[in-house]
Amino acid sequence: MRVKKFLAITLASTMLMSVAACGSTDDNKNSASATDENSITIWAWDEAFNIKAAQEAKDIYLETNPDAEINIVTMAQDDIVAKLNTSLSSSSYDGLPNIVLIEDYKSQGYLTSYEDEFAELSDIMNQDDFASYKTAVNQINGKVYGIPFDSGVTATFYRTDLIEQAGYTTEDMKNLTWEKYIEIGKAVKEKTGKDLCTLDPSDIGQIRMMMQSAGAWYTDADGKVSISNNQALKDAIKIYKDMVDSGCVKQISDWDQFVGALNNGEVASVVTGCWIAPSIKMADDQSGKWAVAEFPKMAANEDSVNASSIGGAGWYVLKNVGNTELAKDFLKNTFASNIELMNSLADSITLVSTLNAASEGENYSKANEFFGGQELFSDLAKWTSEVPSVNYGLNTYAIEDLMTEAVQAIVGGADVDSTLTEYQAQIEAAIGA
Amino acid sequence: MTKQAKILNIVQYIVLIILTIISVFPFFWMIVAATNPSVEVTKGTLTFGSYFTENLKTLLSSDLQFINAFKNSLFIAVITTTLAMIVSSAAGYAFEVYKNKTRDKVFNFVLLSMMVPFAALMVPLFRLFSNFNKVPVLENIGLNTNGSVIIIAIATAFLIFFFRQNTRTFPKDLIEAARIDGLGEFEIFARIYMPTMKSTYAAAVVVTFMTSWNNYLWPLIALQSPEKRTLPLILSAMGSSYTPDYGMMMTAVVISTLPTALLFFFMQKQFVAGMTGSVKG
Repeated sequence: MRVKKFLAITLASTMLMSVAACGSTDDNKNSASATDENSITIWAWDEAFNIKAAQEAKDIYLETNPDAEINIVTMAQDDIVAKLNTSLSSSSYDGLPNIVLIEDYKSQGYLTSYEDEFAELSDIMNQDDFASYKTAVNQINGKVYGIPFDSGVTATFYRTDLIEQAGYTTEDMKNLTWEKYIEIGKAVKEKTGKDLCTLDPSDIGQIRMMMQSAGAWYTDADGKVSISNNQALKDAIKIYKDMVDSGCVKQISDWDQFVGALNNGEVASVVTGCWIAPSIKMADDQSGKWAVAEFPKMAANEDSVNASSIGGAGWYVLKNVGNTELAKDFLKNTFASNIELMNSLADSITLVSTLNAASEGENYSKANEFFGGQELFSDLAKWTSEVPSVNYGLNTYAIEDLMTEAVQAIVGGADVDSTLTEYQAQIEAAIGA
Repeated sequence: MTKQAKILNIVQYIVLIILTIISVFPFFWMIVAATNPSVEVTKGTLTFGSYFTENLKTLLSSDLQFINAFKNSLFIAVITTTLAMIVSSAAGYAFEVYKNKTRDKVFNFVLLSMMVPFAALMVPLFRLFSNFNKVPVLENIGLNTNGSVIIIAIATAFLIFFFRQNTRTFPKDLIEAARIDGLGEFEIFARIYMPTMKSTYAAAVVVTFMTSWNNYLWPLIALQSPEKRTLPLILSAMGSSYTPDYGMMMTAVVISTLPTALLFFFMQKQFVAGMTGSVKG
């Protein structure tokens, strides 16, 4: 079903792009959906996270602007993409939101295709206030269009009890490298019989994280596809293969099993974005047994640091829908600057903000009991500031679809260099580079 | 019964039982999941829990407007099915009963539209419907109206084709006899054809209702405001999340499955008869 939906949307998007190229001058511009001048609409996904954040922001904003009407709509991310593509490419603004949340990996694609549709936000935010890796993706041609929101900073979440049974301490988890991580994993498997972590062969997010930790991506700084000569990618694939071969990872096939393995205590750790914390915390019986360490770096790669990112999004304003000033004012007073909001969101939705000043909030220095009394947020905030900036390019997901096959081939024993050369050509053909 | 036949019989039953379990398991899992909190679902618990009312409460109190979406879906599905039965069956009937030169060419053209994927029609349709919004009367089927979802589903190539095929088995003598008895063409259709083809209609009702109930892509882009959304859109919105509430989602899915399941159970017999194309004249 997913595949079908995906195919349909991809095909549709391609069609849309070609229609967009024809340049449509529709006369129903500004037939704004927001008939009321004081009303704006926000689209976002994830009821337990982004929507709650938007609601808290709304409450704060209404205190000083009681006349404003703010509608928040929950929609799946794929649905937002499909609707934005259809409407923007036919220049029909009926029912479009004033503010929309866009994932970092996708933002450059939008800004490139539809730069004229987004409102410039340089006047309501200061790029220096945010983590530097986030401000690399929210601008194009030197103009800023997005307010960075959540941090996808990565970390190693691990079970202290299992690590100790394997003969290691929390000290060993500091300045972690992937090599050491696998070594610990083998010991854990031997002593406790549990796996080190889960691995989903159809999701190579792990490789993406490793690459970013070395300041690299599927695309180079200019946005050109960089596969065959990408040392960081090669190093990452090698570690990925080592992990599969080590025999201490549990293979899974979807998100459900991923979270299930954590909640069931089947694995000793997980290396992923900080947004996994609420899912880990769902298992009450494991309280106090978890701790968080830095993201492992790649020992073989000199550029690699103990910080990376996965996921994360930002808020964008659609300027042709109308009420742009109100939308900008809303963002200015909430997500672009409000430290109190960030502080309260840390508590309510475990948001790690990318607003640098947020780390001064009191909730950031609170000890977290579930994670053994660790000051979770101040650590995550610190690592957020260390994430290397990379250019995500326009086609992260399209490239990754093909790269997943390449990685599987290499894990299966194919030669690294020749496979990557072959896929470099394939990917260039696929995205028309 | 010989020994050999007995063994064969046992093997057959075993195979059938296995296949039944495979087909029923997802439904079983869905219902079990609806009675458990999210964390139990991810743990893979397979026993019934006592969390159903909690899940239901979360579902109803979330601002996704589930009840409203259910109403929208039901309204759209019922109206679509009713109209589609009238329009498509009349078309299928006409294609078979009235002979003329261009008939088959027109019919081929209709069939051809089955080959065009909906995704290719999406943008032209979207632009067309957004223009409807500016015209009086037509604005009732413009974007963001229930009408926009209904209108494009009432005459589908599949249904017309389906009715035409089944009309072949309809005894033409009945029409001749009715004409001699002085019935008008419309009355023949309404009073002779429709009652005779009950099982065909039943099959078509089930198919159309399900298609409309599950329709996703067009409602997604045509329905703009949150209070107009249908069930598939709401379910989809629940899915994309860092920490999805599986218990609530499954409760929503169980409730969404009910209408189609009930419809199918009630019309099962006619559905099978209609699909195999038998007419009891």
